[in-house]
Amino acid sequence: MPARAAALPRQVLLAAIAVICLEPIVFVLMTSLKSADEYAVNRAGWPARPTLANYVEALAELPTLRWALNSALVTGGSVLISLVLAAPAAYAITFGEFHGRSLLLGANVGLIMVPPVVLVLPVFVVMVNLGLINNLLSLVILYSCLLVPFSVFFLCNFFRTIPAELAEAGAIDGAGPVQLLWRVVLPLSRPAMLTLAVVNAIWAWNELLIALVFIQNESRRTLMAGLSLLQGRYSTNQPLVLAVASLSMLPVALFYLFSQRSFVRGLTAGIGK
Amino acid sequence: MSATQVRVRPVVGPRVSGRTAGRRRAWWPYLFVLPAVAALGFGFVLPLLTVLRNSLYAGSVYQLEWVGLGNFSALFADDTFRTALANNLRLLLTVPLMTALALLVAVVLNDGIRGWRVYRTVTFLPYILPAVGIGVSFSVFLQLNGGLNGSLRAVGLDALARDWLGSPHWAIWSVAGVVVWQQLGFGVVLFLAALLSLPGEVTEAARVDGARWWTLQTRIHLPQIRGTIEFFVVTEAITVLSWVFAYVYVLTAGGPAHSSTVLEFYIWENGFAHGNVGLASAAAVVVLALAAILIAVYLRVRVRAANERAA
Amino acid sequence: MRRSRWPRIVLTAAVAAVSVVLAGCTAASPAGSGSGGAGDDAEHASLTYWYWAESDAPGANDWMKGRIAAYQGKHPGVTIKLVPQATDTLIGAFTTAAQSKSGPDIATQWATLPVLSQVWGGAVAPISDYLPDSERKNWIGTQENTYQGKVWGMPIYLIGIPLAYNKSLLARAGVAAPPTTFAELLRACAALRKVGVTPIGGGNKDGYFGAWFFSNFGKQNLDSVGDLQQAVIGTTDIRDPKVTGFYEPLHQLHANKCFNDDIASLSLDDGMSKFAGGQAAMAWGTDGIVAKWARTLGPEKIGVVRTPTWGTGKLASVYNTTQSSTAFITSWSAHKKAAAQFLGWLHDPANLTSWYEATGIFPADTRFDQATITSELGRSLWELTSSPGSVWLENYLPPAVDGDGDLAAGQVITSGGSVADAVAAFAKATEKWRGQNPAEVKNYTTWSGR
Repeated sequence: MPARAAALPRQVLLAAIAVICLEPIVFVLMTSLKSADEYAVNRAGWPARPTLANYVEALAELPTLRWALNSALVTGGSVLISLVLAAPAAYAITFGEFHGRSLLLGANVGLIMVPPVVLVLPVFVVMVNLGLINNLLSLVILYSCLLVPFSVFFLCNFFRTIPAELAEAGAIDGAGPVQLLWRVVLPLSRPAMLTLAVVNAIWAWNELLIALVFIQNESRRTLMAGLSLLQGRYSTNQPLVLAVASLSMLPVALFYLFSQRSFVRGLTAGIGK
Repeated sequence: MSATQVRVRPVVGPRVSGRTAGRRRAWWPYLFVLPAVAALGFGFVLPLLTVLRNSLYAGSVYQLEWVGLGNFSALFADDTFRTALANNLRLLLTVPLMTALALLVAVVLNDGIRGWRVYRTVTFLPYILPAVGIGVSFSVFLQLNGGLNGSLRAVGLDALARDWLGSPHWAIWSVAGVVVWQQLGFGVVLFLAALLSLPGEVTEAARVDGARWWTLQTRIHLPQIRGTIEFFVVTEAITVLSWVFAYVYVLTAGGPAHSSTVLEFYIWENGFAHGNVGLASAAAVVVLALAAILIAVYLRVRVRAANERAA
Repeated sequence: MRRSRWPRIVLTAAVAAVSVVLAGCTAASPAGSGSGGAGDDAEHASLTYWYWAESDAPGANDWMKGRIAAYQGKHPGVTIKLVPQATDTLIGAFTTAAQSKSGPDIATQWATLPVLSQVWGGAVAPISDYLPDSERKNWIGTQENTYQGKVWGMPIYLIGIPLAYNKSLLARAGVAAPPTTFAELLRACAALRKVGVTPIGGGNKDGYFGAWFFSNFGKQNLDSVGDLQQAVIGTTDIRDPKVTGFYEPLHQLHANKCFNDDIASLSLDDGMSKFAGGQAAMAWGTDGIVAKWARTLGPEKIGVVRTPTWGTGKLASVYNTTQSSTAFITSWSAHKKAAAQFLGWLHDPANLTSWYEATGIFPADTRFDQATITSELGRSLWELTSSPGSVWLENYLPPAVDGDGDLAAGQVITSGGSVADAVAAFAKATEKWRGQNPAEVKNYTTWSGR
């Protein structure tokens, strides 16, 4: 009896898993290529007359591009700001000594898993008071805050792997912590920061609940919030909605297919390697 | 021993504190952490304190009256809340399923068959796609006369066709199915990475001793990645407790007749749609309490997984 | 390493202190200013208008943008920012914004209870204080938003919910005339089933079909709206068949397969579209949607009737019209006069005509020039919609009861549940509302006592 799984059951299992994983995605793509009329009569099969009309409409007539731009602005802004907030903190936790250091790290690790739904109502009230409702800035602010715990944790883990000699390289010449961070540690951390940025960007791009609550103005919506709006408004034209859905998933999917390592490394960082 | 103490030890004593002979502590770390602390205060501490406070008041936002623990008793008397809680527990039942399935796929891929990287890519793809896009897609796919039933009917499996989203019995399980579909890839990648990092000698020795495939997996491999398995289980438990809003909102909106509502959706509906801030805050406190328990467990298993990988 | 406890305390205190400071900063600044006194000039103002109508009347957003541009041309000192609202966040967004007394100058909420809830919360300034009766006397539907002798919001359009029928499909089944009673409806369903046609097209995944059914049938055993109000407050039993007995006909229709089989997994629009596609013989729709169907199928192919009679109450014979959404001025607006002037101008006869032409929905004003209606179908719809005494029952339910009650309870039936379960769900919704909103119950009671 070989110490490998038997070939046939193995192939069946993997094929079944692959089909299950891919069929819904294929369904989405297939449906988006059908016209609404064709979809009414042919729900499950291949499109008899595939057409890109839905994509054209999605990009030219619906606010898809504007929404995508809003999402991009919010994602970019919050990833950048959270990095700026987290990097010095992680540096201080790893290389510095101060009261409450382990408490702070523990707090960050714990807060990673706090569900945003419990935070959204009070923060909404604050944003209304600040007059930031319907302003993308409100999303950038809250997302940045919510990304800090994971970012701090991730960077701490990485900074710990930097050998002491490297990190201290400038200390002998009298460089202070700011210069050491900026000149030595951060350049060494580029791959890690890139991975972190990718992971955080996925989170921000995919976020729904907060985006729904903070932005009511239709043209300011993020892509995810806009897609959920279309789902209701264009419920009689499923292919069109699915075309927008495909477009919303496209950036992340493409990115993933071209840079798997960053993804895998970042998202499995939970094990603290 | 707390999880954090293992990892926060600075590598070689305090290094960059800039101190020479004096015992005066450096102040730069406080400055460095201040922005992050402010962010945590604004984004977490302040809202959490507000939610705790609001949970003790009832009524519409205009006329809040103190009710002490009245919201909590109203909560547990509310059918919809009990359904929401029960649904989160039902979702919890999918975690063993997810774990077993992911382990199975991971051990099979670990055998090093040709094209294993492709399978890994394919199973991981659902995980990184936005939940809203997935949800919208499945809400079309799972209609009574939609894609899934259409395919089933096409291959003669009519009997399996159900009203996945329109039946109060099936709605929550359909949500569960979509969650499993997305989360499976995360498990596969996680377990596969852990298995690949195991020392080859133990496996070789077992093979030389004539171990069968099943024994090899269950007696040799799985016990060695126990920490990773625990980590996945706890992470997924937290996920189905507090990160499924997008699925429910887009797939079923909690329906039909609240049969697929979950705690997050209950909070949204009562707090935001109905303006019942007090009740929603009380529900949020319940979610927090459950999450806190799981987070404590999560912190513990994280250490174990880290130690296991480091060994 | 020394392990003293106070570093943790200090850190926790620091975080708490930072958050308290932030809370102080953020809570202290009310964004809107007060009650529109000295600065309230109708010709110089910057207004924000949270607007909702597109779902009722496709084309509404563009129409309003056009009207705003025209108004700004006539009144150069006034600028109006239009912010279209989404259906599922319409109530929540305004309620939470109103909590801090800041937000738009003009807002939209669905008529009657959703508006009155805000009135009781102090968020609304009555439009009757800012526009003279001479301007308001032509509005249709002001009774939907009247409280303590004041009119609190302005109707813009009227929605009627007729039952549309496909003449050729009915003929194919041998149904000579569209059903006027419930018994006739059931017979028509049976006949249509025999020739393989879906009798009624509908979708209840989002619950709105059930809400329409509540409004169309639920009033038919009532003699007045007061009967419902007493049941909602709890003075009379909501389980009484007079109030919730209408789940029986819904159940009958569902059990006799009068609906399409996927009614539970389709949304309202999706289900209605089966009529437009010629797959269903009948469907409830709004005036605007029916007008669209006429364009798709051909105006001579479809007809409209009122909802078949089922009940025996006085309200069984009135039609189902509502202004659906109401525009009102917020209590914190600094430009109430300017807002009122703009709103009043929307009822200018020229604007009434352009509204109808843009959306196919009737404006809520007796000065509407009926010559604008060019089709036979349109005239039938106008006759129905403007018939006196119309009641849209859903408006009289508190929003929470609406959502938890007739929306959810209707889904019980369309997902195959029993009448008893649906009635129980409705009853529980009222109990939960009474328990959670003691202040609102008081206001509701006062209002219903009138």
